[in-house]
Amino acid sequence: MAGEDVAHGEPLLEVEGLKKYFGQDSGLLGGISFEPGRFPPISLDEQQVKAVDDVSFEIRRGETLGLVGESGCGKSTLGRTLLRLLEPTAGTISFKGDDLAALSGEELRRKRAEIQMIFQDPQSSLDPRMKVGRIIEEPMRAHGMLDDEGREARAKDLLEKVGLDPHHYNRHPHAFSGGQRQRVNLARALSVNPDFIVCDEPVSALDVSIQAQVLNTMERLQEEFGLTYLFIAHDLSVIRHISDRVAVMYLGNVVELADKEELFENPQHPYTRALLDSIPVPDPRRRGARGALEGEVPSPVDPPSGCRFRTRCPRLIAPEGYDWTDEEWAHTRSFLRAVKRRTFESASAAELRREFFGGDLPDGEAGEIVAEAIALVATDADAGTEGRGDWTDARELLLEKFARESVCATERPAYDVETEHGTDSHFAACHLHR
Amino acid sequence: MSSEPLLRVENLKTQFFTDAGTVRAVDGISFEVYEGEIVGLVGESGAGKSVASMSLLRLVERPGEIVGGEVTYKGETVFGLEEGPDGELREREEMLSNEAVRERIRGNEIAVIFQDPMESLNPVFTVGGQLREVIELNRGLSKEAARAEAIEMLREVGIPDPEERYEEYPHQFSGGMRQRVLIAMALACEPSLIVADEPTTALDVTVEGQIIDLVDELQAKYDTSFIWVTHDMGVVAEICDRVNVMYLGEIVEQAPVDELFHDTKHPYTRALLNSMPRPDRTVAELEPIEGVMPEAISPPSGCRFHPRCPDAREVCRRVHPEPEEVARADSHPHNAACLKHDAFDVGYDGSAPLEGDPRTTAGGSGGEGGE
Ligand SMILES: Nc1ncnc2c1ncn2[C@@H]1O[C@H](COP(=O)(O)OP(=O)(O)OP(=O)(O)O)[C@@H](O)[C@H]1O
Ligand code: SF4
Ligand code: SF4
Ligand SMILES: [Mg+2]
Repeated sequence: MAGEDVAHGEPLLEVEGLKKYFGQDSGLLGGISFEPGRFPPISLDEQQVKAVDDVSFEIRRGETLGLVGESGCGKSTLGRTLLRLLEPTAGTISFKGDDLAALSGEELRRKRAEIQMIFQDPQSSLDPRMKVGRIIEEPMRAHGMLDDEGREARAKDLLEKVGLDPHHYNRHPHAFSGGQRQRVNLARALSVNPDFIVCDEPVSALDVSIQAQVLNTMERLQEEFGLTYLFIAHDLSVIRHISDRVAVMYLGNVVELADKEELFENPQHPYTRALLDSIPVPDPRRRGARGALEGEVPSPVDPPSGCRFRTRCPRLIAPEGYDWTDEEWAHTRSFLRAVKRRTFESASAAELRREFFGGDLPDGEAGEIVAEAIALVATDADAGTEGRGDWTDARELLLEKFARESVCATERPAYDVETEHGTDSHFAACHLHR
Repeated sequence: MSSEPLLRVENLKTQFFTDAGTVRAVDGISFEVYEGEIVGLVGESGAGKSVASMSLLRLVERPGEIVGGEVTYKGETVFGLEEGPDGELREREEMLSNEAVRERIRGNEIAVIFQDPMESLNPVFTVGGQLREVIELNRGLSKEAARAEAIEMLREVGIPDPEERYEEYPHQFSGGMRQRVLIAMALACEPSLIVADEPTTALDVTVEGQIIDLVDELQAKYDTSFIWVTHDMGVVAEICDRVNVMYLGEIVEQAPVDELFHDTKHPYTRALLNSMPRPDRTVAELEPIEGVMPEAISPPSGCRFHPRCPDAREVCRRVHPEPEEVARADSHPHNAACLKHDAFDVGYDGSAPLEGDPRTTAGGSGGEGGE
């Protein structure tokens, strides 16, 4: 079958500059606005959700690439765009040398047999009215594979391969447990002999004990059929178990990509570190080893410039042009965040200086700016200027003079860093590696 | 422990009377919660964790019913049955009335936090307004004072810009923020016990981390006790002091958290721990538990775990083990409902191993294929 032309370990799929934007309104003209004064008069609305924004990576034949990130970071959108279930906004998706993003009609249809997808919810992805056998045969029928008899034989064979009883051929999906339904999904995906399967949270809805059964089956099938997986999940433990290499996504960008062992043992992006630090480890003797990440994910409609993680990054780099010690910058950074999130109750200027700066403001110009900001929010602020406006002014002042001046805000980071575990390359989108 | 527990649950049974038969969702569980403790209730989907926690506050609705057992809170009988003169079970005289439970216990003494915060917040009122009302009603503060207190609580649970967010509606909050609001509401009445049913399950891991830290902090400050319901062993290890492991309506192991993980006494707990991939190290080979958990409508005979248990012997099919003390730790018992322990003395050692076809009879649809 197709695919023999790409050797094991060679790139099967190469993604370059992939973008997927959604209009804010889901309506027909959502995201498009008509501006008669301009040429061309129709422009893409600013209010677009940049779900996947300029992502590049490759997937090698026979490997499992884990794609991990928190809800809303764009994992599923990326998976669906690869399959052309969603139209890419920009970029190329090269599968065995053909650009899927540019294919259409019959060519795309034929390619689709080589790429399959399985979803999180095994309940809703199986048509309850169809018998299991028919569900598994459906993709074969759609691609004109085999005759009736051949399809039935293959469906029964596949049931056995995914660990179900071939006698279940005539059952309806509701007679199956969650784990069994996910096996039916696997059999259906395998029926057209694909090279590549995008698995979107395939075990998230399952109990741990069942999860382990399905993961083991997926690994066995990969070996038996030489499959390549893109495995999308939010659960880092599952990702660590199943993947060969791992990509970490944050707010539409891939922020780090490395060999599994390298990524977990030598993470180089502050977001990856925060993610790893926040997982509760199932061992009470390792309690309290967790670190917490502050703040929330910003809106993908208007993501931060430069590094998208900068609004929460505990290591945001000091802006040039001021004379900071590390400690002074660290104090200023946490003061800036506290003002921005308004997480403290106002107090006198002296008290605020003590609380956030241990009494001593930074030297020079930086110190003057900080003093100005403190004066704006302090209770002993100049008479007549009490109220919210002061917080907003203080916030703007600090953001403008400091946060937006950092290299983290002015340049988009992308670096190859040194690998400690294994020999594979290690990508980290963080200016700490300048 | 010499002191009296805050909450004592004895042989609690809750059933659902459905067309398909009687679901024995909670089938005779006993446990205690002492002051200042976080007690875990852990198990897989359908084990009965939620039904158990609803039963504590008599929140079970038709077709469900608490059919037996006792729940005692600070010496008061929240639920209790006794045998009447005609041999029928009837509610004990000292059992609190529905009004008393509703007005004095729920919220005030024992607060509940559910998995889905959207269900517990009213979408048409502002977040701040809802919190203020709870405070006003339960703490007898004036509207103004309650408002100030509500803003303070919002800040305390980590809502940024609380004055501003006070005026917003629940849908304007993220999932993590809503969960923080629910925690604020639960704490607002200064309860002695909070029952939290999977409060972080729907949240991302970094948000879950934030909430766990918050609970740790608040717990240290107010000395509130918690019953923490979860299926996540990582969360259990992180915050629980003592743990109850549930399987098919029963508690099969009960231990302080360190013993549960490092001196595991029940094969189900062991199997659960072995089947998990780990975040902190690469596990080459997962060991799944064979089969699926059977339906609570027709639990297996003898030990309910026997069709899936790697240690099962012939005797396990016949004899039903109740939890017995098999060790002591921290002056707490370590209980396990497993016949292989000497405490049972039913001839486990001499009994023939069960040659398993691991496929269970769950729902008549066969089991998960064993690998
Ligand atoms: N309203 C109901 N009617 C009939 N059966 C019910 C009802 N509610 C719960 N059950 C049954 O009671 C048993 C225990 O359910 P429960 O919801 O307590 O499990 P759980 O441990 O909380 O699971 P999960 O982890 O999925 O939340 C299950 O067999 C369930 O199907
Ligand atoms: S580029 Fe800057 S803000 Fe982004 S992760 Fe690195 S240090 Fe943090
Ligand atoms: S009683 Fe028997 S079947 Fe049950 S857990 Fe113990 S060894 Fe396993
Ligand atoms: Mg539940």
